[in-house]
This record gives sequence, C-alpha cells and structure tokens, in this order.
Amino acid sequence: MIPIEFIFRMVEGGGEFIHNSAFDALAINVWLIWILPMIGAMISPLLNKVSKRGRDISPAIFAFVSATLSSTLIPVMLEGDEIHTQISWINSIGIKAGLLADTLSIIISNLVAWISFLIIVYSIGYMKGDRDLARYWFFMLFFIGSMQLIVLSDNFLMLFFGWEGVGLASYALIGFWYRDRSKDYVGRIDHYALAIPQFTSPTHAGMKAFLMTKAGDIFMITGIFLIFMHTGTFEYKPLIEDHTWAENMHTAGLLIPAAVLIFGGAIGKSAQFPLHEWLLEAMTGPTAVSALIHAATMVKAGVYLVARIGPIFFIAADIASAQFFEVVAWVGAITAFMLASQAIVNKEIKKVLAYSTGSQIGYMMLALGIAGLSTSFVEGYSAGIFHLASHAMFKASLFMIAGGLLHVAESRFMDDMGGLKKNMKKSYIAIMAAGLSLAGAPIITSGFWSKDAIFAALLESSYVFAPVLYVMAVLTAVMTSFYTMRMIGMAMFGKKSKHIEELEEHSHHIHEVSALMFIPFSILAAGTIIVGISGPFVEGFIHERLGIFLTNSYGIEVEHEEIKLNWIAVISSLVSFGIGAGLGYIYYIKRAANPEVISKNAFTRGVYKFLENRWYVNSIYYWLFVIGPLFIARIFWKYFENVVVDGINPALEFSMAWWSKIVRYIQSGVVQTYVYAFGIGIIFILIILLSV
Amino acid sequence: MVYYLLQAVFIPLLLSPLAYYITKKGGVTAGTWFTFGIMLYSTIMILLPSLNGYYYEKYNWSQLGEFGLLLDGLSIPFAIIIYLLSTVLVLYSKPYMIHKIEEEYHEEQKSIQATPLKIVSNIPTHVMNHQMGIYYALYMVFAMGMLTTVLATNLIEFYVFFEVMLIPSFFLVAFYGYGARRRISLMYLFWTHVGAVILLLGLITMGLSAGSFDMQNIKESNISVELLPFIAVAIIVGLLVKLAIVPFHIWLPYAHAEAPTPISALLSPAMIGIGGYALMRLLLTLLPSTYESTSLWLSIGAMVTMIYGGAMALMQSDVKRMLAYSSISQMGYMLFGFASISVIGLTGSVLLYVSHGTGKALLFMMAGMLIMQAHTRSFPKLGGLAGKLPMTAVCSVIGALAIMGIPPTNGFMSEWMLFVGALNTAIDEGSTAKIVIFALAMIATAITASYLLWSIKRIFYGRVNEGLEHAKDGSYYMLAPMFFLAILTIIIGIYPEMLTQIIIPYMQNVLGEGVIEVLNK
Repeated sequence: MIPIEFIFRMVEGGGEFIHNSAFDALAINVWLIWILPMIGAMISPLLNKVSKRGRDISPAIFAFVSATLSSTLIPVMLEGDEIHTQISWINSIGIKAGLLADTLSIIISNLVAWISFLIIVYSIGYMKGDRDLARYWFFMLFFIGSMQLIVLSDNFLMLFFGWEGVGLASYALIGFWYRDRSKDYVGRIDHYALAIPQFTSPTHAGMKAFLMTKAGDIFMITGIFLIFMHTGTFEYKPLIEDHTWAENMHTAGLLIPAAVLIFGGAIGKSAQFPLHEWLLEAMTGPTAVSALIHAATMVKAGVYLVARIGPIFFIAADIASAQFFEVVAWVGAITAFMLASQAIVNKEIKKVLAYSTGSQIGYMMLALGIAGLSTSFVEGYSAGIFHLASHAMFKASLFMIAGGLLHVAESRFMDDMGGLKKNMKKSYIAIMAAGLSLAGAPIITSGFWSKDAIFAALLESSYVFAPVLYVMAVLTAVMTSFYTMRMIGMAMFGKKSKHIEELEEHSHHIHEVSALMFIPFSILAAGTIIVGISGPFVEGFIHERLGIFLTNSYGIEVEHEEIKLNWIAVISSLVSFGIGAGLGYIYYIKRAANPEVISKNAFTRGVYKFLENRWYVNSIYYWLFVIGPLFIARIFWKYFENVVVDGINPALEFSMAWWSKIVRYIQSGVVQTYVYAFGIGIIFILIILLSV
Repeated sequence: MVYYLLQAVFIPLLLSPLAYYITKKGGVTAGTWFTFGIMLYSTIMILLPSLNGYYYEKYNWSQLGEFGLLLDGLSIPFAIIIYLLSTVLVLYSKPYMIHKIEEEYHEEQKSIQATPLKIVSNIPTHVMNHQMGIYYALYMVFAMGMLTTVLATNLIEFYVFFEVMLIPSFFLVAFYGYGARRRISLMYLFWTHVGAVILLLGLITMGLSAGSFDMQNIKESNISVELLPFIAVAIIVGLLVKLAIVPFHIWLPYAHAEAPTPISALLSPAMIGIGGYALMRLLLTLLPSTYESTSLWLSIGAMVTMIYGGAMALMQSDVKRMLAYSSISQMGYMLFGFASISVIGLTGSVLLYVSHGTGKALLFMMAGMLIMQAHTRSFPKLGGLAGKLPMTAVCSVIGALAIMGIPPTNGFMSEWMLFVGALNTAIDEGSTAKIVIFALAMIATAITASYLLWSIKRIFYGRVNEGLEHAKDGSYYMLAPMFFLAILTIIIGIYPEMLTQIIIPYMQNVLGEGVIEVLNK
C-alpha cells in the first residue's frame, strides 16, 4: 500500500528470488548498484548547504561504492550464473520490479561503474570553481544511477525508467551552462547551411538532444506496447522461456515491426542514423559530461538494448528475425561511414570525438546486426561487446584529455592549439595511447583487436550483402585512423598557433593539467594498451563468457572452438590503418604536405563543403521538423483559431444583438399595432380551426 | 455513523460565511489559516474513508431520489486530487492574492486621480480584508462544488453541483481576474452553462426514461432504444464543452489565462477534468453499449484536440495562455484514454487526471510566481530565471515532466497505460482507423514535449532579461505547496499502485471481463 513497505521489502534481502543460485546473497548489491548513485544525487543539494568540500567529495565516494558493489558480481559472471530478484510493484496489472544480473549486464555494469567513477574524480578537478556544482553532481549521479538501472533491469518498464532518466540527465547536463554565453556554444558562429545555423547554444542543444531521443523513444515504447499486448508482461525472461508470443505476433505480421520499433529507441539514444544529429551538439556540456555520455552512459544504452533484445528475437523466430538484424546492421554501417566522413573535416576537437563516437557505435551495431545474420551468433555478438568495452576506455580517456586541452588553450578549435606536446608531456603520451587505440594501431591497442573481431565476424557471415558492409567498415577504418592522426597532429604537433602565442604573451603559462584530472585519463589510456597487448586473450575470454551466457540464458547453440585469427581481417585492419594513419602523419604530424590543396579543386571543395555541412541532414531536419510544422501551426493560429473559432463569440453576440433589435422593433408600444396583430392572429386561428 | 462525506461536503459550504467574517475582522493571515484548516479537515474526511477503497453515504432527499455521496474506484482519485489541490492552494493564495488586490487597487487609484504623478497610497487594511474574505468564501464554495459533483450518485444532485462549481468560479474570475475579466467571466459562464443545460436535457431524459434519477437504479433499468442516441449526444456534447475538446474549446484559453492564478490552478487541472469524470460515470457506467459505439468518434476528437491544443500552445507568447492551451491538449489525452474501451486505457485516463492535476497545478503556480516576482507573464520579457528562482525552476521542471509523461513522474504512468489500452483495442478490433489515430496521438506526445521544453527554455535559460535582475523566489507560502505537489508527483510516479489498485477493479467491473483477456491473465 505505501512506499515505505516497498523500501523495506527491498532491504530485506532483495525480495523474492526467481532463480536460486549460490549468489542470492548478492541480490541486495544488485539493488544498491543503481540506488546508491540515486541517493548520492539526492544528498548533494543538501550537502551544498552544509559543506562545499563534502559536496564535491561525496559523489566520488558514492560512485566508488557503487562500482565496488558491481565488481562483487564478477564471480557470478565467472560461474556463468545469474541473479534474478523481484519485488511487487504494480500488483493490479501484475507488474513486478525486478533486477537481473547476468553476464551481459555484469560486464556492462562494471564498465559503466568504473569509468563513471574515474570521470567523477576527473570532474572534481575539471569543474572546480563552477558556481552550480550541486546541480552538476545531482545530475551526474542521477545519470549513472539511471544507466545502471537500464543495465540491471529485468523488464522493459524499468528499463524505460532508466532510459528516460538518462535522457533527462543528458538534457540537464548538455544545457548545464544555461546562461548561453557565446563561449559555451559549439560550431563556428558564422556557419550556416541551407539558411540553418550550424552552431548552437547549450540550452538549445539540450532541448535538441531531448526531443530527438524522445522521437526514438516514441517508437520504442510503441514496440514495447506491442510485445506487452501479446505477452501481458514487460519482463524478458518469459519472452525467452515461451515462444508462442512470437509465433502469434509473426502470424499477425507484428513481430518485425515491434522489433524494429524497439530498435528505434536505440537509434535515438545511441545517435545512429537517422537520429544522430543531437550527438554533435551535445558537446556544449562540460567535457566531463561528454566523456560520460560518450563512454559510459547514454549512447551505450542503445547498444545494450540491442544486445539484450537481439538474442530474444533471434531464438524466438530464427528465420523471421533476419530482417530485424539486417536493419540493425545497415543502420550501423551507414552511421559508421557517414559520421566518420564528417569527422575528417571538423575543426573542433570535441566534435571530432563526437562524430567518432557515433561512428564507433555504428561499428557495434553493425557487429550485433551481423551476429543475427550469421550461423554463429556469438561471433558478432562478442565482437560488438568487446568493441563497446574497448571504445568506452579509449573514448573516455580521449574526452578527458580533450577537456584539459580546451582548458589550457581556452578555445574549442584545433586551429587555436598546436604544438602543445612540449608543455603537456603527460597528456601527450596519454592522447597517443588512446588515439592510437581509436585509430586501430596494430597489435598493441585494444581498438585494433576489437575492430579486427568485427571485421572477422563480417567475413564469416553468410549474409548476401556482407561484402558491401565489409567494404564500408574498412573505408570507415581508413577514415578513422586519418581523422585521429589529424586531431592529434593539429592539437599537439607543429608550431604553436597565434592564439597560443597570444595567451603566452599575456603571461598565461601553458601547463600540464592537475593530478586529479591527469590520473583518471592516464589509467584508462594505460588500460587500452594493456588490453591491447593481451588482446587475443581478452577477446577469447569475452567470447567464451558470452558464449556460455547465450547458451545458458537464451539457449543459443554455440560451438566451442579456439579463436583463430582471420588473416583477411587482420590484413585489412593493417592496410586501412596504414593508409589512414600514413596520410594523417604526412599532412598533420610531419606537415610534409599542405592539406589546403583541396581548396584548389572544385570537386574536392564541393566534397569538403558537403561534409562540413553534415551532408545537409541537420538543415533538412530543421526545415522538415521545426520550421515546417511551426509554419503550419502559425497558419492555423492566424486563420483558424483567431478568425474562425474565436469568431464564434462575437458572431453569437452580434446575431443576438441583431435579433433583439428586430424583436424590439415589433414591441413598439403602440396599441393600434398590437390590436392589428391580435386581429390577424385571431383570423388565422379561425381559418385553421374551420378548415379542419 | 461518522458522516465523513457529509462533513467533507457541507463544512466548507456552511463555514464559508465564517471565513469571510474571520478574514474581515481578524486579518488575512487568520483567514488564510482558518480556510486552510477547514480544507485540511475536509480533505482528511475524504482520505479516511478512501483507504477502504469503497464508501457510500445516502440520505433521504426528495421525490427525485436519494442524496448519495459515493467514494468508489472511480471517484476516489478525483475527490482526493480536488481537495488536495484546493487545500494547498489556500496557502499559495495568500501572498498571491494580496499582491493581486494591491495591484488592482493601485490601478483603480491611478485612474481616479487627476494627476498620475501623485504617489499612490497603500491599500487600506479593511479593503484588503474585505476582498480577501470574499475570495476565501467563494473559494470554499467552489472547492466544495467540484467535490460534490464527483461524489454525487443522483443525476439531479450531480447537475446541481455541476452548476454550483460554476457560479463561484464565475465570480472569482469576474472579481479578481486580469484583462477584460468581466467580459471573459461572462463568456466562461455562458459556454459552460449552455453545455451544462444540454447535459441536463440528456440527464432528465435518461432519468424519466429509466424511471429514477438514482444512478444505481438507472444501471439496472432498461432505457428505451429510441431515446438512447439522443441521451448520448446530449451528454457527450454537454461534457465535451466542459472538457474543452476542439471545437468547443474557445472559452478555455480566455478563462484560464485571465483567472487569478490560484483559481487557474484549480480550474485547469481540477475542474475541466471533471468533464472526463462525468463521461466515465454517466456514459461508460450507465450506458456501456453506447459508449462502445461512440468510441471511434471520441478518439478522433481526442486526437485532434491533442495535436491542435499542442500546436496552439506552441504559438503563445503568454505563459498562462500557453498553459491553457496545454490543458486543452491534455484533456485530449484524457478523452483518448477514455475512448480506448479497455481497462488499462481507462485507468490511464483516470491517472492522467491525477498527473495533470499535480503537473499543471505546478506549472500554473510557476506562472503565478513569475507574475509576482518577475512582474510579467510574457515569454519575450522572461529569460535566465533559473539562477534567480531556483526552487521555482526545479518544481516547474518536475511539473513539465509530469505533463510530458517522463518517468519518474506520474505522467508517465498515466500515459503508458492509456496508450497501451488504445493500441490494444485498435489491434484487437483490427481497425486501421484506430491504429492511424494511435500513431498520430503518439506524435502529439512529441508536440507536448516541444512546447513545454521550449517554454522552460524561454523562461529559465539564456541571458537574464532586463528588469529581472532582482527577481527571487517567493515566500514559503508559495513554495511549500509547490514542493508538496512536486514530491507527490514523483511518489505517485514511482508507486502508482496506491491508485491503480482501486481504479482497476472498478474498470474491470464496468467493462466486464473479456475486453482485456490478454493483460488480465
């Protein structure tokens, strides 16, 4: 009846257990992993009144405890077991609140928790002196808590709670600097495409992010409704145990639509084509927020969702679900290609990284999609998850380093940086490690191995169009290593830019960032190298764990075989890195050739403009979905609401007044008139009576 | 027998002259707390019997039937929200109405004085006490009228109180409103009264045809088939005016925008939704077969209202008018849930009344705060207030989330239920029209999110506009009610079982089993 009872039952050891495993005692930890950051969020505005120092340290403590708790679940994963705990929630519709910690959610929960913790520590240094820190910590912790809720939930409804929670937190954090000072904008202030500004203020960007992801959520919730209607439950487990719902939906022609609609939510949240445009503007938030959005939370939610529902649809209807996976794979490949091509020409360091995130998430989607189109589901599946993990590490690191560069150079443009490696040795080493991992430098970086796994999965797929996807993926890899080298070269190598020199003249010393900022990104940069060196082992481990998971939880047959290197994949990785990085090195690091050459040729200039204007997608969206509807609404407002509907009142009023005038005219008060009228009336009545 | 409901209904009515007297003699603070005390006591009188989920009181009345007061699965959520809002808004009214009456007085003084430069004197205490006394007296009658409409079990009783809630609100708008308030209050009176009279025709025909005006008896009797369409049309049209469904909506933006803000905060969330309640009580419960045959048309009207109201809200440059159009759109949601012919959809519709009640009240309270603290309600003159009015900003964002239907606010709970209900029926019936309507209605949720986010952006973000440098949060008389509602919004959003456990059995009972076989396993 009352919420208090709800809380108590939760504390009493996690409610009822569906599956009795040896690890049931850990159920309470599963709850606390997401509840603790929420509690921390609630506390931070209160601490703001008590102690500023406590307010800034407590988020790190909450994040650390939550991360430790999620690490206590690792033995569960190693055993190939799972914890499933439920408590009553909306009894009258038979909905339970439940959490499910299985291999997939434990891997992602740990990634989220530890990377978030490092970002929180980094934030203490990065956000020092900002005046609204209570709000900042509130939403950062709320963000983490919501993401953990997504990952650990055992049903779609709670997942949606977390899903909208991250949407809300991202809205608040992207628009964190709500005063909209021009230095917080992204984009060049004079950049227009098709008469649409390509620069945005923080609050505009926050709104855009919220509305675009909301568009995806509308699809997603409709898809969830369709499944709910056919099963009467939001939980995943019943979907796996009994497949009659899928048969029913398939005969009704609703199975693939439902799956694709749910994927629509993932498209929005993970910034995939066609809902990718919000991600670039999301750079208006503080850099620590960008790191959190891009590495640990938010965009990974979409990948997690696909990883969660993909196997469900795969086993529920083997043949019928192929179209769903085709959609996933193509969306991923197109996004990967499209955003990588735009990253090549961008001048803002954070936006390059943002394009890169969208593109890399595209790789993950591609891998998960191709999993469903192959005979061996686990190949693509584990490649996707492996890439998710490796991307989370190097991208968080890159963002945190970029935050330091922005801070030092006091500009978001790479043109205003240059030659920073002399003054920022540690940042330089870290950006090389993490950047090479993004570029996929062979053998020693995690990015190489995870990308290689995706290539291998593509090659082994039986899907007809797999070669096309493969070519797109390889081209994307070339572009990725090129823009990474370009970014590092422009920021770190070459001569110091005018802007930096001016700063130094004004006795502004270019210095290394503080230890509080430096340590978190170094840990992650080192991590990518460590994972890189032990690449095949890590890959094999993830492959094996996920194979067991797929067999145990979903009943997908997995052949246990030794991981072999696919030599075509390795060679294409090497070649694409060689071409991309080589070009980048010549143009931007060694500066042997001048990249300005492209402006001499009409064709290359056109391509450059096309890419810089984001393939015009952004502008077209504004025309179609903002200006167009507002125009229609204005027409209705001007000519319908204000004229027709609002005219009802005066029309009634005047017609009444007019009518009363006529009536008043008859009632003249002249007795003779009345007598005449009376007489005529009498005659009429007589005639009527007589004629009957 | 404790006469819970009789107390809840008649104590505010009978003591309303005393509220005037106390305010007049003892000052505004005494009057406020007296009114608050009465309303709080009455609210407790509602809450106590609600815990059981069913409570019925009846008294001998006249030849028209019995005077019954009923709390059941349908009326409990409505009754609780009406009285909770009425109670907390008493406190909010104090600083706000003092401000409003002072402003009005100064305007009047200015127009009387020959030389406008002369310093306007302060308002005399006795004038203020008199005005506030009348306000509180009318306020209590208004609240009681809304409550009794919801509790009524007899058609004539229902109609009487349907009008009782109209008259005091008419005076409140006419005495304390903004702009062309007398004209607007008349417009409000005419529209809703004409609607009510059409409704009365339907009610009388229904009563005479059934041989009794008691709802319990009508449910068991057979109404002649020839009269059914006439009755249904009269009831639906009469109530659609109250709900302000397009094209019967034009009175609403005027009345709600120009009413004094605490009254807007009651009119908009609490009063118009009673139209939805009445549809459920009169059409769904008494004439279920007619309900099912009209559902397609109702859902078309609902969908049009959702989109049209939202689109018009986008066009407004006045905060309160924007909120008024938003209410129109929200009533579209409510009607959409109502027309879903499914237990879960109807439950969502009732919950929407609750979430709109809390959410829209919060937003109107925000508008009042802006009028008081920033002295403007026009979007172009606002901006950057998040730093100046942080508490207001937090509460109004929570209110906006409730209207948008974002978890963890109660708006999400109501919206998913009503949408799943509508989709379920559409697919079960295999009706393409209904699926298309559903898709368009989903688009309306995006419009809702747009106009609210845009409004929040224009009010609270960006640069601080000229003249707003000294704006700050109002007193706790205004903030405490906002906090209360904000917390309530989230509690219901996380744990809606408190309400669903009483609504769902009622709806199951009305619709009978079979409509939701799938969900009801």
